[in-house]
Formats: sequence, structure tokens, C-alpha cells
Amino acid sequence: MNFLLHIIAIIAIGLPQVLGYNVIFGKGKIFHFGPIGVSLMAAYATFLTITNGGSYLLGITLGAGCALLISLLFAWLSFRLEADALGILSIAVHLTFLTVVLNSTQVTRGALGIPRIPRLPFLSSLSSFATIATVIAILWLAILYMIDTGPFGRKLQALAEHEWHAKSLGVDREHTHIAAFLLGGIGAAISSILMPQYLLLLHPNDYTFPFLIILVMIVVAGKPGSILGVTLSAILLTLLKEGLRFLPLPTTMIGPIRLLLFGVILLLAVYVRRDSLFPQQRKI
Amino acid sequence: MQLFANALIAGSLAALMAGGLALVYGVLGVFNLALGQLALVGGYLTWWLHQSLGLPLLISIIGGLFLAGIITWITFELVINPFYKRHRFLPIVTTIAVSMIFDALILLLFEERPRNILSSTKHFVTVAGARISWEQLILITLTLIFVASVAYTLHSTSVGRKIRATVQHSEAATSLGIPANILHRIIFIMSGVLAGCGGIFIGIDQNLTPVLGFPITIKAYAALIAGGKDNFWGTIFCAYIIALIEQLAIGVPWFAGSYIPAGYQSVVALLFIILVLLVKPSGIFSHKLRIA
Repeated sequence: MNFLLHIIAIIAIGLPQVLGYNVIFGKGKIFHFGPIGVSLMAAYATFLTITNGGSYLLGITLGAGCALLISLLFAWLSFRLEADALGILSIAVHLTFLTVVLNSTQVTRGALGIPRIPRLPFLSSLSSFATIATVIAILWLAILYMIDTGPFGRKLQALAEHEWHAKSLGVDREHTHIAAFLLGGIGAAISSILMPQYLLLLHPNDYTFPFLIILVMIVVAGKPGSILGVTLSAILLTLLKEGLRFLPLPTTMIGPIRLLLFGVILLLAVYVRRDSLFPQQRKI
Repeated sequence: MQLFANALIAGSLAALMAGGLALVYGVLGVFNLALGQLALVGGYLTWWLHQSLGLPLLISIIGGLFLAGIITWITFELVINPFYKRHRFLPIVTTIAVSMIFDALILLLFEERPRNILSSTKHFVTVAGARISWEQLILITLTLIFVASVAYTLHSTSVGRKIRATVQHSEAATSLGIPANILHRIIFIMSGVLAGCGGIFIGIDQNLTPVLGFPITIKAYAALIAGGKDNFWGTIFCAYIIALIEQLAIGVPWFAGSYIPAGYQSVVALLFIILVLLVKPSGIFSHKLRIA
């Protein structure tokens, strides 16, 4: 039962970030590879505040504010750069954040991470954590679904399909993409505020490059832009990831086998979706 | 002087790989994010041939480069070729996937501990006050030979003219009878072999570890982006500049005689890309391509 609750909690905690990223990368086809950097900074802003005597409210406000500010920074960068340059730059920004966190040992404890992360009072037990995280994930999913099926979703899709034509029809790229980045930032903030509380530990290893790859894989495998598809993909791939623990293999082999399996899944997913992931621009 | 020598060594390693990347980007228009892993593949295969099979070093290096070339070719056929003509961004995602696969295979086959191709101690020489090993001198020489060969090939041979024509306009070049598809393969395999050279150098000069793949890739891309993505000479120049800035950043006292911690060294290349992209998004030495 506890393992089932653990699986539910892990899926529900990760889902807001995945769905937020799906808005940017999946629906908007924006080459943003920095969502883990956003989470990293949001998590550290939140829990450094709380563990240094700040209130939960202040910590969460600072964490969310940090996530939104960094998302705005990425949005601004996306207006200045070509798509592939944005991809590389967003990875560079993520790795810069990670290096700063790892080396600022006086403040962040570096590679040791921050242990004994305090949980919010109503998140003390596993069952309450799983329940609250699931409610938050469902609410976030419903909000994104409404946004996605409304004018914003159509504008974002139009910009992804053909930017010039969308602009000529009055779609404002700046406003639409800023909104997409902010949605991604909110999703990242929700997940990064919940996850360290669940693990009772904030560790920089949970924000490394492989986690970005998992995020990309979930979006690509679930059908980019599709909220329900990406939700299903997140559930199935999390089950697979957690299920690999039960393979009768030495612990040193589980990590590489997981990496190998996810690499193959990502490759196959891109192959299957090679026409829809980055569609050719419509020619009229 | 030692800082400049270190910059020359690190810059040569980055230039070797970034130069190949610049040619790939110029010809194919794709980013290969598995470059660091291809470098490690070359290094680990050479280590395996030399240390496990006991082959002589030179044969091991040739064998490592040959196998790196074969693996790069297979990578091209499986991960680049089915995608890059559909959309030039697809290979970014597929090479991320293949980098994970290579990382996993390296971890499974060679384990996490550091591997050094040479078990003997290194011999150092002092050049203009800087202490450099023979292996490092060979790397610097090899890079200079590579740069000179590319310059000669690009500007003085018919193959070079074909490559430049393909860079300028692939379809127009094909219509004039230039086998662009074959050139694409050759250039991609060449970049993999150059990355393999870099991996072998790391295995000889330092130690090979599975976590090196991505930092190598990022450093090569820093040079490529800063130099102007399709500008070979700009890329080579920026590889050395970034290496020099990295060395100066941690080797020179900055604030009240204090040094920046060595852990921040990798940030220098990243900050350099960020700065260049913000000031001149197309790269320092970018130029407009002929489109018709």
C-alpha cells in the first residue's frame, strides 16, 4: 500500500512541471531546455528561506517569485535568439545555476544538499501527501486544459505552426510566449516546492541534465502539446522508472539500464513523432 | 606563462572537437549533442585495445579512431539521417537520446572509475618557462596540423570547393552534380573521429570518466556558438579564447588578492556563451550566407 501511495505521490508531484513544460516545448514548439534550472532555483530559494528561519509563506512566495523571474528571463532570451541558440543557451543557464549551487557551499552546502527539509503541517504523512499532491495535480491539469482549449492555446499553436501568418492575423508573439513561459514556471515552482518536502531532502543531484532528458522524453512520448497524452505518458514512464527497482540486478546496474532504456524510448518516440514534433511550416 | 600554456592545451582540445562541429553545422545545419560521448567512445575503445587486449599504443589509437569513425557513421545513419531533412531541430533531440544510450553503455562496459590509457609516468619539458608534457605537445601539434589541413582542403582542393558549395546551398550544389549526401556523411564521420582524437588525448593526459561527456560537448558548443555557428575560423579562435579566459579566471588573483574557486571554471565557458548570445546572437564572427 505504501509503495502504491509513493507512486501516486511521485506522479502527482512531477505532473505540474511536466504539464507546464508541455505548454512551452510541446504546444509552443519553443526550444527551451532550461525548466530544470527554473526548478532548481525555485527549490533553493524556497527551502533556504525556510531552513534559515523564514516562514513557509515567505519561502513559497520567494520560490514562486524566483521561478517566475527566471521564466521571464528565458522568455526574453527566446525573443533575442534563434531557436537552436536558445536551446543551447537554456542548457548553459541551467548548468550555470547548478555549478553555482554546487560551489556556494557556505550557503547551499554544495553537493551535500540540504537535509531535514520541514514539511508543511498538512503534508506530514504519506497518505496525506499523496492526496494533497494528487488534488493539486488534478487542479493544475484542469486549469491547463481550460487554457489550452481556449484562445491562448489556439494562439500558441498558430505561432508554432507558422509564426508569420499567425502574426499577420494579429497574434501577439511576445504576450503569448511570455504567458507560456510563466505557465511553465508556475508548474516548475509547484513541483519544486513539493518534491523536497516529500523526500525531506533538497539535493542538487535531483536537478541534473538527465532529469531534463526525462522531461523531454515524457513530452515527446505523450504527443507534444496534448495534455492528456503527456499525463498518460508521465504516469506510464514513472511506473516504468520505479518498476525497474524490482529487476534482479545489482544496484550499480539499475542506473545505467534506466538511462539506456529511457534513451531508446526517447529515440523511438522521436522516430514515431518525427512529423509532428517539429512539423514543417505550412506552405500556402 | 604556465596559464597561457594551459590555455593552449585546453584550447587545442576544444578546437579539435569544435572545428569538426563547425563543419558539421555548416554542411548539415544540425547540432550533435552526443559529441562528448563520441569523444569518450574513442577514448574508452583505445583504452580497451591498449590496456585490456594489450595491443601497442599506436595500433590501439588507430583502432580506437577507426572504431570511433564506424560508431559515428552508425550514429549518423540511425540518429541523424532519418531526421535532419525533415526538420533540422529533430537531431538535437535524437542526439540527446543517443548521448544517454552511450552514457549508459560506457557505465555498463567500463564502469564509473577513472581509466588512463597510459600506465607509465609522463615526461615533461619546459618551454619558455611553462611545464608541458610530451603528450600535450603532441596534442597542440596535432591541432595545428588539423587546422592547416582543413584550411588547405577547403581552399585549395576540389573537395574543399564542393564542401563550400554544399555549405552555401546544398540543393544548388546537388543540382550541379556534387554528391551532397556523401559529403554529409564524410563530414559527420570526420567530426566523430576528431572527437575521438579528443577523447584519446583526455585518456592519455588525464583520466576518462563517464561523466565527462556533457561538459566536453558544452565547451565545444561554447566555441561554436561564440564563433558564429558556421564559421570554422571563428570557432577555432573562440575555442582558444574561452580556454584562456577559463585559465585566467581561476589562475589570477581577482578580488583583494583572492582567487575564484576552481569549481567555477566550467561556468566561464557558459557565461561566455550567454554573454556572446546576448550581445551578438549570431556569434562574433558570423556572416550572412548566400541564399540564392
